[in-house]
Amino acid sequence: MTKIWNESGFVADDPWIIETEEVQAGSNEKAILGLDAFLAKKDGTDLGVLINPADDVRRLEGHLDRLALVAVAFPAFNDGRAFSHASLLRSRLGFTGEVRAVGDVLIDQIPLMLRCGVDSFAVSNATALKRLAESRLPGIDNHYQPTARPSQDVGSYSWRRRA
Amino acid sequence: MYRYDEFDHAFVSGRVEQFRDQVTRRLSGELAEDAFKPLRLMNGVYLQLHAYMLRVAIPYGTLNARQMRMLAHIARKYDRGYGHFTTRQNIQYNWPKLSELPDALAELATVEMHALQTSGNCIRNVTADHFAGAAADEVADPRPYAEILRQWSSVHPEFSFLPRKFKIAVTGAERDRAAIQVHDIGLHLKKNEKGEIGFAVYVGGGQGRTPMIAKKIRDFLPEEDLLSYTTAIMRVYNLHGRRDNKYKARIKILVHETGAEELARQVEVEFADLRDSELKLPERDVAAISAYFAPPELAPRAEGWASLAQWKKADEDFARWVHQNVQPHKHPDYGMVTISLKPIGGIPGDATDAQMEAVADIAEEYAFDEIRVSHEQNLILPHVALADLEPIYRGLVAAGLATANAGLITDIIACPGLDYCALANARSIPVAQEISTRFGAPERQAEIGELKIKISGCINACGHHHVGHIGLLGVEKKGEELYQITLGGSGDENTSIGEIIGRGFEPEKVTDAIEVIVDTYLGLRLNPSEIFLDAYRRVGPQPFKDALYGDKTAEAA
Amino acid sequence: MADKVLTANRLSDGISVWLDAAGTWNESLQAAFVARHKEAVEALEATGKQAFADNKVVDVNVVDVEEIDGVLRPLRMRERIRALGPTIAYAAGYAGLTATAAPA
Repeated sequence: MTKIWNESGFVADDPWIIETEEVQAGSNEKAILGLDAFLAKKDGTDLGVLINPADDVRRLEGHLDRLALVAVAFPAFNDGRAFSHASLLRSRLGFTGEVRAVGDVLIDQIPLMLRCGVDSFAVSNATALKRLAESRLPGIDNHYQPTARPSQDVGSYSWRRRA
Repeated sequence: MYRYDEFDHAFVSGRVEQFRDQVTRRLSGELAEDAFKPLRLMNGVYLQLHAYMLRVAIPYGTLNARQMRMLAHIARKYDRGYGHFTTRQNIQYNWPKLSELPDALAELATVEMHALQTSGNCIRNVTADHFAGAAADEVADPRPYAEILRQWSSVHPEFSFLPRKFKIAVTGAERDRAAIQVHDIGLHLKKNEKGEIGFAVYVGGGQGRTPMIAKKIRDFLPEEDLLSYTTAIMRVYNLHGRRDNKYKARIKILVHETGAEELARQVEVEFADLRDSELKLPERDVAAISAYFAPPELAPRAEGWASLAQWKKADEDFARWVHQNVQPHKHPDYGMVTISLKPIGGIPGDATDAQMEAVADIAEEYAFDEIRVSHEQNLILPHVALADLEPIYRGLVAAGLATANAGLITDIIACPGLDYCALANARSIPVAQEISTRFGAPERQAEIGELKIKISGCINACGHHHVGHIGLLGVEKKGEELYQITLGGSGDENTSIGEIIGRGFEPEKVTDAIEVIVDTYLGLRLNPSEIFLDAYRRVGPQPFKDALYGDKTAEAA
Repeated sequence: MADKVLTANRLSDGISVWLDAAGTWNESLQAAFVARHKEAVEALEATGKQAFADNKVVDVNVVDVEEIDGVLRPLRMRERIRALGPTIAYAAGYAGLTATAAPA
């Protein structure tokens, strides 16, 4: 079972569905389209797009105003490309909508995803669900680098931040 | 050397607790092995043949007596009384228990040490010239930049799941003692015509299955751009490095397949957007970090000259040790001491807890409390007054650490090999021991001169055999060990990859083969000051092939 | 078919172990249960999978051995070294270690 979580908690009635050949969004659902499908769509706003690891997220430039959600895929938890996609989406493209991690989302990577600008998570892993329900995220508050998600300056070396 | 502040202490404590939680979940089964493995690797924990292995980070190979004593304590309390210093300036322990590792890491944290990112597909220990801050030929000390890179790369959320491991090395002299051209990123710290500090940037060097020499993609990167440019390289690699094949996943393959020019262009495009970001390094931060690396107050000790001359006259062994193991220092009354961890017939790079304590005591009393680990698996005391060499030598003799072989044929670099390592195909240590014993006589070693033998027990090349003057690669053929010999490799500023000279040798024939190579060299060198590497580069492989294989065609094994 | 034993490393301390006839993980290869036919090997593999799933051991493998005069000898050198320990001569003062001869 997959649940959607963000820092306010689990989301009830999340409308987003990743569209594939087999699965299409129903009447109460919103489609997350593949990148090519999204770019081919000339109209519509409040849309969703899925960025796979090999996609070039910069192709979204100029189209962000039509997007409410960008899903970044982690097909395997150790495929780290989506960390860069999320970072570029926020810091280079200036996207302010929802960035959602989908795929193999595990509790130990969620703090890293948050720092890269991801703000919602499609979670099926049992331990992750349990820890999120308990609000027990295993991150470290002291950061040694600025990231896409701004964090507090600590008045120390220029690269240091705090959650 | 760098000292932790509150921020660093809080970070490393947080990291220990994070790992403790992960270990608890793993032991209870809540965390499965395949999810746990990358997490434990990022805390330096491997599973080897006999047990786990813990690799503790020694940032750019620098530590003090208190830290060395803790390493001795870890060896005693959590291991079997010894540790192994590695070709990336770290230390490895071969017998720790997973269940005890959080406690071991907590103890290390009390002396500002950790095992963060010494494994895993992330940025590893940033290594540097082991003579940094002391060498007479140094342009600038690379360590402040290694420290800045170390901090910046610690738990970097964007770069914790790279296609593969990532290794950075920094050197600050024209002579490259950090082997930067066989690293993923090599940084050569230099000054431009205006006297400004910057870096020549090399990318895509590496050993392993496909050894490659790095390509220079920037001739001069200003100091303030260090973090933004490195981020640009890392981002290009993270996005485009291959993830389909573990053996093609390093950045060297990306450079090779993309082309250095095109890759440099991609990096510059990314860098253009990052250059004026919050990653720009302010001068005051560089100055603050550099202040930690200010050289110690070196008082004149001119009396050392006369004392040294007298001691050398009185003791031939001492004289030999000074000649071989003490290098010139910036300050004329001082020297840089190499403590050899290569006793004749011993295990290269290993030290017992008692030996670590002895080094700590000597460093504290005589060497301004500073110790280095070299990538050649020896220890260094970078600041030693010539006037103190004799008592130091006595202390080293008592601890079995006074072998006068720095850079000589018995100063062998060897990976742990099949005696320990789950990745190995063949053993390296017994091969090193036998070669060392055969050539152990001091006169023989002196006659042969500088000759760097490096041995790896598998294609991963942790013994750096590709850049050995003589390299040995252990392979498995029909269930038996076989050793391929390469010649003419070098990891210095004139980096070269050794050439395979012919079919491999069985373990019992290897030492004889080395002897044939050495005798061939002695027979054809112009004079005793033409070292093996230079002679090889002059004459090429043919004389050695002929000597080893006769005039039969020598096909590579 | 070569004779086989089941080996792994204990999760908590990483020590190499072999499954014995009583179904416990033993630190000595010589105590290992030897599977001499297909069904026995399949049973070993199943036991190994279960032990991994139960978080007792990691890196579980079935390995080939031969028995010579009642002594088990793995066919692969790697496994012989796993069974006997490092083959190298240690300096005096290395606690808890003794030199082992090369595993012929």
